[in-house]
Amino acid sequence: MKKQTTKSIQLNGETFKIPAGGTLGLLALGNIGVRAWKEAKAANVNDNSKEKNEKK
Amino acid sequence: MKKNKVLLIGWDSADWKVIDRLIAEGKMPTLKAMIEEGVKGKIATLNPPLSPMLWTSIATGFRPYKHGVIGFVEPDGKGSVRPVSSNFRKVKAIWNILTMEGYKSNIIGWWPSNPVETINGCMVSNMFQQEKNGSKIIEQENWEVQPATVHPERIIDKIKDLRVHPHEITLNLVSPFVPNFAKLGKGDDSNLGIISKFLAHASTVHAAATELMETEEWDFTAVYHDALDHFSHGFMRFYPPKMAHIDEVEFEMYKNVVEGAYIFHDMMLERLLGMVDDKTTVMIVSDHGFHSDHMRPIHIPQVPAGPAIEHAPYGIIVAKGPNIKKGEQIFGASVLDVTPTLLMMMGLPIGKDMDGKPLVDMFSDGRKATYIESWEKIDKFGGELVKIDGDVENDVTAALQQLIELGYIDDLNIENVNEKDRVKNIIKENSFYLAKSYSSTGLHDDALELLLEVETKSDPDYRILHEIVNCAVKTNRFALANEYLQFIRKEKILIDFHIDILDAKVQIGLNQPKEAIKLLNKALKVDNQSVIILLDLANIYNGLQMKKEALKCFNKVLALDPENAHAYYGKGLAYLRADEYEKAVEEFLNAIDRLYHFPLAHLYLGESLALMKEYEAAIGTFELVKTMMPNLPKVYRWLQDLYDLIDDPIKSRENASILGKMHLDKRTIICGLPGPKMEDALSMLKQNKVNIGKSFDVLKTQNLDVLKKDWFSQLEGDVIYLPLQYFPSLNSRNLNKFIFIKDSLEDTIEHMNKKAKIKANTFNFELMNNLNKIEESTKSWFGKQPDVDVYYLSNLDKLMEII
Repeated sequence: MKKQTTKSIQLNGETFKIPAGGTLGLLALGNIGVRAWKEAKAANVNDNSKEKNEKK
Repeated sequence: MKKNKVLLIGWDSADWKVIDRLIAEGKMPTLKAMIEEGVKGKIATLNPPLSPMLWTSIATGFRPYKHGVIGFVEPDGKGSVRPVSSNFRKVKAIWNILTMEGYKSNIIGWWPSNPVETINGCMVSNMFQQEKNGSKIIEQENWEVQPATVHPERIIDKIKDLRVHPHEITLNLVSPFVPNFAKLGKGDDSNLGIISKFLAHASTVHAAATELMETEEWDFTAVYHDALDHFSHGFMRFYPPKMAHIDEVEFEMYKNVVEGAYIFHDMMLERLLGMVDDKTTVMIVSDHGFHSDHMRPIHIPQVPAGPAIEHAPYGIIVAKGPNIKKGEQIFGASVLDVTPTLLMMMGLPIGKDMDGKPLVDMFSDGRKATYIESWEKIDKFGGELVKIDGDVENDVTAALQQLIELGYIDDLNIENVNEKDRVKNIIKENSFYLAKSYSSTGLHDDALELLLEVETKSDPDYRILHEIVNCAVKTNRFALANEYLQFIRKEKILIDFHIDILDAKVQIGLNQPKEAIKLLNKALKVDNQSVIILLDLANIYNGLQMKKEALKCFNKVLALDPENAHAYYGKGLAYLRADEYEKAVEEFLNAIDRLYHFPLAHLYLGESLALMKEYEAAIGTFELVKTMMPNLPKVYRWLQDLYDLIDDPIKSRENASILGKMHLDKRTIICGLPGPKMEDALSMLKQNKVNIGKSFDVLKTQNLDVLKKDWFSQLEGDVIYLPLQYFPSLNSRNLNKFIFIKDSLEDTIEHMNKKAKIKANTFNFELMNNLNKIEESTKSWFGKQPDVDVYYLSNLDKLMEII
């Protein structure tokens, strides 16, 4: 099973969780939301490939 | 001193009916708060309501036939076609003016803004978010930023990775729009792809806008989103309440899509408002509304721009800021007013040549608009179009493909149609839109000339033929109107139903009301729910002063469309003509409440109030009409008299002086049936040495061409006796006073018989019918002239006094 990494960002004192599948809230944040989401996706891919490699 | 910033947000197709519902349900809290902190209103669109033309009017303050951006596609100058671009814009946009004045702008996604311009600031064009090559999607790893879509090039690096590709949109993101997507079969999920694309494009535009707002210095930011328009064209048919023809399962599946799109825009708005300080003025506008209720069409015409039938005539305008009123409504806004208002916000003068006006009522600080002759004449650098090097055909084809998918342009059949024909078709199509733009402002001559140039009967286009007939009627070219009408009928270019409605327009133009009524009643049997037919019918009855029939039709219209301002206005007129002034006032106010910029409703409201002896209120109303229709002599005549009545001779003289400068034809026209009273009236005028000329003889002997606009001015005399048959071709613009001598049909026939030495007891039914028709036709003509005063005289006691 794929590992789900949930990152988060801070904006105006609020914490936004970043699931790799994204949320409308993230898209609505514009630049910071899209950037954080893309980073979370990339990190998720990295984590999964790392885990895959370790298992090998 | 730090300048106050302005943020302009464009939401294509945003409509109050949807927004009001969502706000009431607590689903658009950010917009709700913004409205409470500022002003809101309806914004009138232009005809034709096509987005690239409208958004260019919004960004320039000029009508399409002046700004030059027409249609969705344009010739590329190299023998082919391309999506509408900034290349054809003939006037300066707000960002050019701001560049000239040293302000920095961010312009993101504006339609059309490709290729970008080298303005002071940043520009990201409407092609930035495109990810297609023709009908094929370019995969994310090969997705390059196209040339000339970003200015300056240094910002490409920071915004290119903020683009969201449709393939990145997950089901997690689509599920708020289609909560039951899991129930969709494998072949039924194409709508999810469409939603993904709209969402990806909106997210890209929003991400670029927020990045530039956060990292670049700016005085003005404008961001345009087409997503509400696209979501609405794709899914408004599933919006509750369910339309009868919509499948129950599909309705349940997609009923939340439009709502989801509006909610997402509210979420994006929250972020934008969070990025600006209290000193920034924010304005949201849409270019038109979108029918979301029983006005939704069941069928979309299969013609280019056919989906525009779903557009509603009023969009939204909301503004808040340090110098903007709070919690108030503004009235009378048009898309043309946005740039003049922005200039006023920025403390810059407005070009007198702009078609729009500043919305001064939204400002709380009592500021006054300042003007210059024209921004076009000022020779300062305002940015220039970025030249495209190399071949960018792929990009152009992609954008064309998107327009085809949305139904805005015909499938250009790129493979099979030769380029020459494609260009010819586009020129014809755009000429049609340009003609519509002309005729929407009364320039029917220009429209007609253009249409006759592109229309060929060998390759007929029913929309163009239809418009030719309309314009021919408006310019009194009835022979031409009939020629095209007969052609349409003979070639069966339209079905009988549409031909009858068109024929009725010709008959109304010819002042043949009974013929028009017959045709419209026939059409009504085919579609008894047609608001257009019912309104036409009601207006004819109103012209004939058939109050009961008129009110019946207007009430039917209101049952179908309770917000129809024209129906309330018509009811007001019916009551006014029946001297029921209080009821008239109520109906005119109903009309104005729904459509504030309705000068004739204000005019007749003023008349009703004056006749009720509410002089102060009437004066206030006429003063307002003056600002809406400054060239209408009747208003000045009323004000001259009303100021006299309230003992304000200075103001009375002011209005008289304006009237004096209007070069009006001061002659009185006398008309009526050729009966004994008319003969007595003419004798009375002669006895009083009034120069009545010999107009009738002149028309007959000199064979004046009554189709020429100036035929009336060639007639001599202080009082003109004008036979009734000449009324259809009379231009009332400079005329003011008509005296209609009322005679009975029986007396007239007896009088005519006597003159022709026909036996007294001979009764000619044909003559009676003809005279009846002529009399009705004249009444119908008077009903269409808002600016003339008509005195109906049954006895001649007051004749000389009136003259």
